Amino acid sequence: AELRLSHQFSESDLRHKVAQMVADEVAAADVDLDIKIFPTQSLFKAREQYKPLARGQVDMIVFPLAYAGGLRNPYNLTLMPGLVKNHDHAARLNDSEFMDEIESILNEDDVMTLVHGYLAGGFAGTEECITAPDDVQGKQTRAAGKAFEQMLAGAGASIASMSSAEIYNAMQTGVLDAANTSSSSFVSYRIYEQVACFTPAGEYALWFMYQPMLMNKSTFEGLTEEQQQALLDASAKAEAYYLEEAKAQDTNAREVFAENGVEIAEMTEEEFNAWQTIAKETAYKAFLEGSPDGQRLLDLALSVE
Amino acid sequence: MDPLTLGALVAVLTIAVLFSGISVAAGLLVVSAGFLIVFDGMSSLSLIPEIFFGKLDNFALLSIPMFIIMGAAIASTRAGADLYEALERWLTRIPGGLVVSNLGACALFAAMSGSSPATCAAIGKMGIPEMRKRGYPDGVAAGSIAAGGTLGILIPPSVTMIVYGIATETSIGRLFLAGVVPGLMLVGLFMVWSLWSTWRSGQASVLSAGSYSWRERMEILPRVLPFVAIIIGVLYAMYGGIATPSETAAVGALLCLLIAVVIYKLWDPRAIWVILRDSTKESVMILFIIAAAGVFSYMLSSLFITQAIAEWIGTLDVNRWVLMGTINVFLIIAGFFLPPVAVILMAAPILLPIITTAGFDPIWFAVVLTINMEIGLISPPVGLNLYVINGIAPDISLRTILVGSLPFVACMVVAIVLLCLFPGLATWLPDLVMGVAI
Amino acid sequence: MSGSLHAIPSARHGGNPLLRLIGLLSRICGIVAALMIVAAVVITCQMIFVRFVLNGSTIWQTEGVTYIVIAATMLGLPYVQYLRGHVNVDLLPLMLPPGLRRVLAVVVMLATLAVSGGMLWYGYEFWHEAWDWGETSNSPWNPKLWVPYLALPVGFGLYTLQVAADFFAMMTGIEKPFGLSEDATLTETHAADAASERAD
Ligand code: NA
Ligand code: NA
Repeated sequence: AELRLSHQFSESDLRHKVAQMVADEVAAADVDLDIKIFPTQSLFKAREQYKPLARGQVDMIVFPLAYAGGLRNPYNLTLMPGLVKNHDHAARLNDSEFMDEIESILNEDDVMTLVHGYLAGGFAGTEECITAPDDVQGKQTRAAGKAFEQMLAGAGASIASMSSAEIYNAMQTGVLDAANTSSSSFVSYRIYEQVACFTPAGEYALWFMYQPMLMNKSTFEGLTEEQQQALLDASAKAEAYYLEEAKAQDTNAREVFAENGVEIAEMTEEEFNAWQTIAKETAYKAFLEGSPDGQRLLDLALSVE
Repeated sequence: MDPLTLGALVAVLTIAVLFSGISVAAGLLVVSAGFLIVFDGMSSLSLIPEIFFGKLDNFALLSIPMFIIMGAAIASTRAGADLYEALERWLTRIPGGLVVSNLGACALFAAMSGSSPATCAAIGKMGIPEMRKRGYPDGVAAGSIAAGGTLGILIPPSVTMIVYGIATETSIGRLFLAGVVPGLMLVGLFMVWSLWSTWRSGQASVLSAGSYSWRERMEILPRVLPFVAIIIGVLYAMYGGIATPSETAAVGALLCLLIAVVIYKLWDPRAIWVILRDSTKESVMILFIIAAAGVFSYMLSSLFITQAIAEWIGTLDVNRWVLMGTINVFLIIAGFFLPPVAVILMAAPILLPIITTAGFDPIWFAVVLTINMEIGLISPPVGLNLYVINGIAPDISLRTILVGSLPFVACMVVAIVLLCLFPGLATWLPDLVMGVAI
Repeated sequence: MSGSLHAIPSARHGGNPLLRLIGLLSRICGIVAALMIVAAVVITCQMIFVRFVLNGSTIWQTEGVTYIVIAATMLGLPYVQYLRGHVNVDLLPLMLPPGLRRVLAVVVMLATLAVSGGMLWYGYEFWHEAWDWGETSNSPWNPKLWVPYLALPVGFGLYTLQVAADFFAMMTGIEKPFGLSEDATLTETHAADAASERAD
């Protein structure tokens, strides 16, 4: 049998490597299962992968789940400022009751999770360091995700929406003063050439995005038992790799920026809490307005130690 | 069926369908739907609207109608005539000067319009009758305007560069800059050819007749100011940190509409409607093709054809310049039959991985691709600029226009060769202004 | 781009009131589409002003303008069909004798109708699904997506109507197949004439 896997990332990206690992492991298991990967949005645009997956028009995707937050509001919790503090916390969240709730919503749409994984990101400023809410006051800022835009606007930043690929030019021409994106985007788009200060994901980090590998549930159930087992084994192996590499990306970003003479700033616990206070009044509030069941899910997520 | 055989089948059927006389956009949808039904099943059809909408759901695309409005607004005023006359007064002593001033006017106009037919129409309305009146052969008059008009998509802003930028995820600001030097070089080649052919024809003395006093020459300069103001304003907005290229298009469109109304006193609502009607017509035609080509490339990707072709070419192990030559021939042939936007959208996903693997720069390739598309604009059966010339001067036969534009096509081929020899012609300016490419 | 008010070809109605009405509908769509493009220009300028001069946030403009241009494109479809502005390759029609050319024209128009009708049908489903799920764009502005999606079924519906009108006009002899005169062949003058009818 042949499975089609779609994602938006380049072939050098960690998330492609995770997909490739699953494909290779399954092939090695020799259970007559072939995973064909469609990288770099060559099949669907990044944000338009969820519905085809739910309908079974594609079999697997590696997907930032918050992209489907317009379809299922609870998914917005997978990109909420301050909800995840670091990678180990993220790993505990993956095993929590909160993630079970997310899984049951996915199941309703005939989707299931194969590989859990979070990626982290930071902030960069063209002139000053961005660590506390006061630092973004009056700055033209690009943020990754609705919740972060709401939080930053709440802190007094002016929000300019653009893709991460546009950050470099926007900073160069002065359209943009500060940006928030993933560690890997910071490095691959060479943002270090344009900024004075970088706040990487460290002990306290705000930006964590859940980007699992998902599969159509009916398709999975239609496979033979050996095939299912091979997929699950491959996924477990890929998940461990994903967590290790996700941590490594933050370290790498920190090193690359430092090597290029960019000042490295750290976010303190106090600053983290200040951000979270603002987030509660803005992003969390907006989230709760859109979801009757939101408070329960939010409490579940916040209860993870 | 193996993807390569399938690819050949798609190619043959696409050509057959498009030759039937169906509109290009509808034809692409017919072929895509047909192959999706056969190979992915009926259920895959429900994806088409999503992909169609998704292709258009891109802020950068909105600059297409705006860069077209810029050209159409100015073209409907006396501005084209002013520009044309100014150049003529200054260049009249040169043998063949009228052709040179037409080409110069086309190049300047191209800096304001994102579309080639618009550039062609704006200068041609004035230039073709004037050249014929002065005794230039019909072929020279029509051919130089047809070719000069193609500069509209090479000299920024450019609708096709926007489409290429979106299809390949390259910076539109960088692409625009990459077109500047090659655009100037191409117009230089056009001019050199025109001067030489006039001199050779032995009619130099007749064609340079008429002279203007210095007073007359200075008098006209203020009337060119609005042009200069628009071009500088747009460039400043785009590279001065005010706006992204797509946003700048709106500033340019508003500026041109205002200048048309305020400075050129285009009060008549019907005249303003003509600007909007023509821009809407051209933009919708282009955007429909863009969306349909998006569905087409989804079909190619879903059937694994795109990937198989790229892999296959990767295994061929040919010299990279042989590869580039083959790609150019393929593009020119595609350009004969299809409008530039359709060629770029259908070819870019297949060609880009091949190009980058072979070590070519995607920004540089955009320029080569654009010059190929310029050739297509003045070649039958689908040559948008030919239609424009035919609208302006219906009594000049298609053959005469074609023969007249042939030397300019030769200039374009020379320009492509020069770009291959000196890639820096395309990459130097963007690297200078925006830093070395990522 | 001919720039004059009268020189531009358009669908013929031959006095038929229904064809006249459909043509009028397409023209109204064209006016609305053109006004929407102007609105997009103004909104984008307003966004630059807010951001660059007032240093403020721009929440809805990028997205709003994109949806407006999509709607303009969709509403523009019937109008551009009415103006014969959808570019095509008429090499084969010109090479065929009138009888075969007519047969080909019937096939081409039926294929176009199938495409636009299909897009209307699946576009309706696409719209209805967004309506059903209550899907939003999930941006800070967060509009309901059924609103922009509505452009698809509406635009293709009106486009189907205009194509159907053109098909009827051709079958009843009001319009020539491919809009080509009986004696048009591949000889250069006629090719150029025919070409000038559908693109500028
Ligand atoms: Na241009
Ligand atoms: Na052509």
